[in-house]
Amino acid sequence: MPTPVELDALWLSLKVATIATLVSLPLAMLAAWLLARTSFAGRTALDAVVHAPLVLPPVVVGYLLLMALGARGPVGRWLDSAMGIRLAFTTGGAVLAAAVMSFPLMVRAIRLSLEAVDGGLEWAARTLGATRLDAFVSVTLPLMLPGIVSGAIVAFASSLGEFGATITFASNIEGETRTLPLAIYTAIQTPDGDLIALRLVGLSLALAIGALALAEVADRRVRRMLGRP
Amino acid sequence: MIEVCVRRRLGAFLLDADFAAPSQGITGLFGRSGAGKTTLINLMAGILAPDAGRIAIDDLVFCDADARVTLAPEARRIGFVFQDSRLFPHLSVEANLRFGLRRRRQAPCPITFDAVVDVLGVDHLLPRRPQTLSGGERQRIALGRALLAQPRLLLLDEPLASLDAPRKAEILSYIERLRDQFRLPMIYVSHSLDELIRLADHLLVVSDGRIAAAGPLADVISRLDLQPLLGRFEAGAVVDCVVQAHDPHYRLTTLRFDGGQLRVPLVDRPEGERVRVRLRARDIALALSEPRDVSISNRLVGTISDFAVRDGVFVDVTVAVGTTTVRALISRESKDRLALEIGQRVWALVKTVALDNRSLGLLRPPRATDRDAGRE
Amino acid sequence: MRRTAIALLCLAASGLASPSCRAAPPTGLTLYAASSLTQALDEVTAAFRAQSGTAVRTSFAASSTLARQIEAGADADLFVSADQVWMDYLASRGRIVVATRQNVLGNRLALIVPADRMVTIDMRAGFDLAGLLGSGRLAIGDPAHVPAGRYARQALTTLGVWSVAQPKLVPAESVRSALALVERGEVPAGIVYESDALLSSHVRLAGLFPETSHDPIVYPAAIVSGHDRPVVRQLLAFLASPAAGQVFARYHFLVR
Repeated sequence: MPTPVELDALWLSLKVATIATLVSLPLAMLAAWLLARTSFAGRTALDAVVHAPLVLPPVVVGYLLLMALGARGPVGRWLDSAMGIRLAFTTGGAVLAAAVMSFPLMVRAIRLSLEAVDGGLEWAARTLGATRLDAFVSVTLPLMLPGIVSGAIVAFASSLGEFGATITFASNIEGETRTLPLAIYTAIQTPDGDLIALRLVGLSLALAIGALALAEVADRRVRRMLGRP
Repeated sequence: MIEVCVRRRLGAFLLDADFAAPSQGITGLFGRSGAGKTTLINLMAGILAPDAGRIAIDDLVFCDADARVTLAPEARRIGFVFQDSRLFPHLSVEANLRFGLRRRRQAPCPITFDAVVDVLGVDHLLPRRPQTLSGGERQRIALGRALLAQPRLLLLDEPLASLDAPRKAEILSYIERLRDQFRLPMIYVSHSLDELIRLADHLLVVSDGRIAAAGPLADVISRLDLQPLLGRFEAGAVVDCVVQAHDPHYRLTTLRFDGGQLRVPLVDRPEGERVRVRLRARDIALALSEPRDVSISNRLVGTISDFAVRDGVFVDVTVAVGTTTVRALISRESKDRLALEIGQRVWALVKTVALDNRSLGLLRPPRATDRDAGRE
Repeated sequence: MRRTAIALLCLAASGLASPSCRAAPPTGLTLYAASSLTQALDEVTAAFRAQSGTAVRTSFAASSTLARQIEAGADADLFVSADQVWMDYLASRGRIVVATRQNVLGNRLALIVPADRMVTIDMRAGFDLAGLLGSGRLAIGDPAHVPAGRYARQALTTLGVWSVAQPKLVPAESVRSALALVERGEVPAGIVYESDALLSSHVRLAGLFPETSHDPIVYPAAIVSGHDRPVVRQLLAFLASPAAGQVFARYHFLVR
């Protein structure tokens, strides 16, 4: 039976991963669309920025977030003075760290699914009276759905395991930012914390398996809906 | 009037088309692969934008590069039937059909869902998914879907290209039915002259990005100078006939036109129905008097109106038969031997065998019932 | 195909047998030490090398982290901890040569603020920590395992302000991480060692905790089990020598 502390970490991990995934989703779709269907001057730069968290060490990403969004950072200062929002040391900060780290994975999955949809179908929809947006939403989007779902789940799973950027940007505050990976790390450091660490690891495994099972169910559901085998 | 005067470059290819076509009936767009037919209709639909020029139908301007006016495809109400049908795989057949219809909520919809389903005979396909349909069925749905969007003009881009011969005949008859029922102007793109001869009233010939010929079908078809484009021995006359009577014993049909009668292999069409016949020049022989002891059943009386020598070997003889013009391709030797002259009365002889399904634009006789035609 | 596979296998085997893979002691020593000793020990070990010719590899982290690593078999020769607790931890697991254990240095606990805050606190019971922090947080080493964090908790409890501090803590993985947070202005205040406070130009010492408010801050050193060699003893002796002591004093450690 998990202790309150363990449940806290579990609940926090789920909360952070879910919010991070949901918040990233529209942005990731926009980025995927820009990269797949348009050609504008800064496209290569956008591609690089989107994929940066994939190639940079997570701690570096956390540090960059801290520089920009920390108390003394340019964006952080503006957020605080204009809207009273502080991200460092808060769950919001943990969400941001997780979202940034999992963003490239989501964009890649969505972009692939977008590119797999025949662009000619959208033209067919246009000749039938659909506007550009209507054609995208009515035709391309439903056909992209398996890719979007898979991208979201990959991002969710990645967020569950996010450590480096979180601990650097949001720190390790119990109840606020101490997600499962951070809780395990703390337990390992603590004298005689091995048992706690093992229990948390078990919890993480259960969560991972649960997420994978959910992914499988979602994937099958969507495929059936689209009439695919 | 459909007025098109556009220029568009695609890589090394340049389309420079200038023509006017009637905004009623079916205009055929004929040309080899790569001639620019698809580019042209893509420009008309708004899928491509011209580099320069103007497209207008009955004074409604769709795009004008100089005046910087462009109507988006969804605003043009120009229907499009694609070669690969492009049905939406995530929607049922019914949802596909209703796709365009739904988007014209406020506007009047004279082409009704039930009418289209009825004409195309697809009622039993409505709950299915496009992936489960055959090629012929898919094209039928594509036709219906484009129609239900209430287009003012329908563009068909080689709609039969991906179908096998029996399906082609089937879909062709559906297109004819649609034309008759809904009176929709169409532009029909094809590299098959047989299809166009059957359907088109007006013909445009595209070659290397330019319009090589434009005009009424019969006129363009009879122009032997277009032989390189139309195909060496394809030139001839197109005659509009009416089914007069069927002879079940000999399995022949009599067709009548104002220049006389034609005996053809049995045509599965009711009496009184229109059938177009192509009389290829090479299938016609000439006689100075009506032959009696000869097997050829089709003998048409006419007057020679023109000669033209071809390759130094053959002579193209134009014969006026009633109000129809018929052409015969005979050897120069024969012309001299018979001492043919302009104004001379001659008999044009056509073997019944030569008037096969292809000449009648019937690639295969349609089956007895319409329902049967719907099944594979 | 088969010959290529065999050739590759032989190459791999020879690679494994090569000297660099054998667990032979490297020339030079490995020193694990609490992170607060970073700069001071860099200088001391350089002096050691100049004098004895032996190079010293150093690894600095929280004492908790290092102790765990040594327990798991890390290849350290000498360990300097920031408190007795972690040295006891290793002693009870037989990972140090107990006979060599000795206290080398001392330190004091300091309350710091970012350098641009002009603030001095009178460090006595019930001091206005809430006012100092405002809506911000207090950065300390994680009290669960970092020595500096444990001392901090003791001191705050003794001064009766732990209940104010606890909900506002940022528990860092080491005292140096806590220092960095204050340096960057991410938090309005933090608790680190006096040596850390005086080392950084980006923080200001707001006050020193009374030595009576916490366990004495002592840095024990010991040789790791299985590494008791003359040259390691030499290093240990050097750390305790007056020459090293001068260096430590310059870095504001309390030298015995």
